[in-house]
Amino acid sequence: MEIDTETVLKIARLSRIKINEGESADIQKDLNRIVEFVKKLGEIDIDGIDEFNFGKTNIEDMRKDSVTIYDNTDTILKNTKNKNQDFFTVPKIVE
Amino acid sequence: MNEVKLTQLGIKDSRDLLNKKEISATELTNAYIQNIEESSKLNAFIEKTFDKALMQASEADKIIGTDSQKSLCGIPLGIKDLFCCKNVKTQAASDILENFIPPYESTVTQKLWNEQAIMLGKLNMDEFAMGSSNETSTYGPVINPWKSTDSHDSLTPGGSSGGSSAAVAANLCTGATGTDTGGSIRQPASFTGTVGLKPTYGRCSRWGIIAFASSFDQAGPITKNVTDSAIMLKAMSGFDPLDSTSAKIDVPDYEQELGKDIKGLRVGLAKEYSLQNGDSEASRKLEEAIKILKNMGAEIVEVSLPHTEFALPTYYVLAPAEASSNLARYDGVRYGYRAKLDTNDSILELYEKTRSEGFGTEVKRRILIGTYVLSSGYYDAYYKRAQKVRSLIKNDFDEVFKKVDIILTPTTPTSAFPLGSKGTQDPVEMYMNDIFTVPANLAGLPALSLPVGLDELGLPLGVQLIGNNWQEPLLLNTAFNLENTLAFENNPKKWWA
Repeated sequence: MEIDTETVLKIARLSRIKINEGESADIQKDLNRIVEFVKKLGEIDIDGIDEFNFGKTNIEDMRKDSVTIYDNTDTILKNTKNKNQDFFTVPKIVE
Repeated sequence: MNEVKLTQLGIKDSRDLLNKKEISATELTNAYIQNIEESSKLNAFIEKTFDKALMQASEADKIIGTDSQKSLCGIPLGIKDLFCCKNVKTQAASDILENFIPPYESTVTQKLWNEQAIMLGKLNMDEFAMGSSNETSTYGPVINPWKSTDSHDSLTPGGSSGGSSAAVAANLCTGATGTDTGGSIRQPASFTGTVGLKPTYGRCSRWGIIAFASSFDQAGPITKNVTDSAIMLKAMSGFDPLDSTSAKIDVPDYEQELGKDIKGLRVGLAKEYSLQNGDSEASRKLEEAIKILKNMGAEIVEVSLPHTEFALPTYYVLAPAEASSNLARYDGVRYGYRAKLDTNDSILELYEKTRSEGFGTEVKRRILIGTYVLSSGYYDAYYKRAQKVRSLIKNDFDEVFKKVDIILTPTTPTSAFPLGSKGTQDPVEMYMNDIFTVPANLAGLPALSLPVGLDELGLPLGVQLIGNNWQEPLLLNTAFNLENTLAFENNPKKWWA
């Protein structure tokens, strides 16, 4: 199996997803099944092939990088209970 | 007018009656509200915005017949929960967006409201549009209004736009928005006897649509018929400065393109898209569609898309990779769900516990696999390789569209299957559903699913038409011609009310 227990824990850490001991084996099994499925891509000769892009037609132009003022912080803060005045609160970061 | 009949009408017919003042927008909206209230067993609507709908209807009634009237004035629609709607709870059917109220409106829905459409509410879907059966929704699965003739099993309406497809099939709205990343409009349309159109990548703005895989995601309509699809697509399409991948290409009047002669149309049949069982009703229905096109003067051409067998593996590397990046924003800090923390928990535990508890199993699986294929040491072997294979798949289509105008395929390998019957032991089993739909997303091409009839079990079957970039007019007109001859009637027996 390509993805061992240690790798599962490593990618979970990179993904910022906590995995409990009980679910690790199932996740490992599923991920290996998917990896086995996508391994088919190894059968193709990709020498000299460019990576996909949509070409010119789709990325027309970028909008101007201009400063806009958004002052409706109240609306934004309505989506959280974890706030103090105009700030989001999180666990203490600095000792 | 009898209310049952009123809600069977769809967009064009409702529009015509509204214009003749034979019905009012309020009357029409109330008829849909009644149908929705009776449809809780289907689990299609997860957020109802009836107050808003009746206000919009009352406004529409004042406008109809005046110079201010727009193309969808007074037409009640359902909106997939992936579209952010200002001040309306929007969760992408995920716990991690618990009680999220967007302070902004997606461009596509704003365009619909600018055309004076009416919003009935938000429609159920697979969590973050990741699923093919609607079973990954935090609200529980939508139930297909259609039932097999030989069993009472609840069937999937398809996914991820299963709420949209079921709502249209069950006459809960005239039409609905969907999104399609690997087949999420076309497969549900096929399973419910509705018309689903995934436009060319860049046709509709993605701004304000909760992102899954940004180089694949595209919004489109699910409707009762092809004309309605044309009407709704026009309203949804167009360049948006807020989405740099939306195209600065004029939006045609798709409805005007319908009814044209298709004599001389070159229709490609790709040998890689054949159904496993050649002696099935699905095969016969496909043959019937081919025969109809031939009789109309189309030329049938055998073609080959040799890299088709690599489409699903390519998709299941690239889409999770993009999802792992897009879903990194859900950290529990600013909105949505936040896990309960222990006293000494750090910010890392805030992220990890929130994401572990807030995301469902399939979403976590895709984030993990996406993170894996992008991680150091595996990037070249998986992600980069898949991007190159994606080019090969696109090249296949480019070659085929030198010989044909349109490609005809089945939409799905089977008709709707019972809930709980697929993918419980092996996630890949569920992924196989998208085998015929994923290639169009990989290549960015427009594709439409049209109902062609019922199978041995009395369940709807769809055929897929794939066109070259920006060929929506051709897709819609070909489908319109087929539809007229097939005369499919979407009338599932009403068991839910």
